[in-house]
Amino acid sequence: MPTFNDFVSTLKNDLLEFAKENFEEYKDELLKDGTYFLEKAKSDLERWTEGLVSGALSKEDFGFLLKGKKDLAEMEALKQLGLSKIRITKITNGIIDVVIGSAFKTFL
Amino acid sequence: MIKEMKTTNLIAILSLSYLLWSCTSISVFSPEAYKQAVDLKVESLELMSFATESFTNHEEDVIALTTKLKKAYEFSSGRPDNEISTKQWETLIDPERNLLGGFLKRWKEEEALSGFFITEMQALVSDAFDTIIGLESGKINPSEIR
Repeated sequence: MPTFNDFVSTLKNDLLEFAKENFEEYKDELLKDGTYFLEKAKSDLERWTEGLVSGALSKEDFGFLLKGKKDLAEMEALKQLGLSKIRITKITNGIIDVVIGSAFKTFL
Repeated sequence: MIKEMKTTNLIAILSLSYLLWSCTSISVFSPEAYKQAVDLKVESLELMSFATESFTNHEEDVIALTTKLKKAYEFSSGRPDNEISTKQWETLIDPERNLLGGFLKRWKEEEALSGFFITEMQALVSDAFDTIIGLESGKINPSEIR
């Protein structure tokens, strides 16, 4: 019976092949992103592959969950992007206060 | 002449400050948007737990929830500088993707779904709502803006 490690090994080889065939110049980046996704999703993937092997999940269920995980990663990335903007806004507000204060002191 | 130059410089500095602010601006915290997301998270996860049963028996509930989700999306899209949160809602409710919208579509198409699949999808959808809630709660409170 195939194990989760077999799946990880197959996935890494498939990722490498996919990268070589489609994105040779971005191969390293793609492999890095793929491995990062795998690490983050590891416990879910373990459960889902067990479900697939036991028949609790169909192939369609498994594919749907994986794509759902990718969509979730996109939403998380959007959240991080938004939080970065908020941090920048807070810093910018501080800078603007200083600029306005200095401008008034200098010009008025 | 000197006074004119000073005024021009002041206007230039204020314009630059405004430009700097507008380049990084993101919507402020909205208690209504926050509550909407929390309420919809609870309602969605609750309804998803019935997906082992026939879709036909829950069709009205799904329609009601979908309407509320669309309203939340429209509310988000109508707020200024709120593109990031709106994109999150879009990803969550799009029937062609694989989170809540896709789940409800699949339930309708397949009439009933497996318990294992539902539990796993609930975890993903719960985390997806948390990204919306987390971003909203991180936004600057309007009272903090001078």
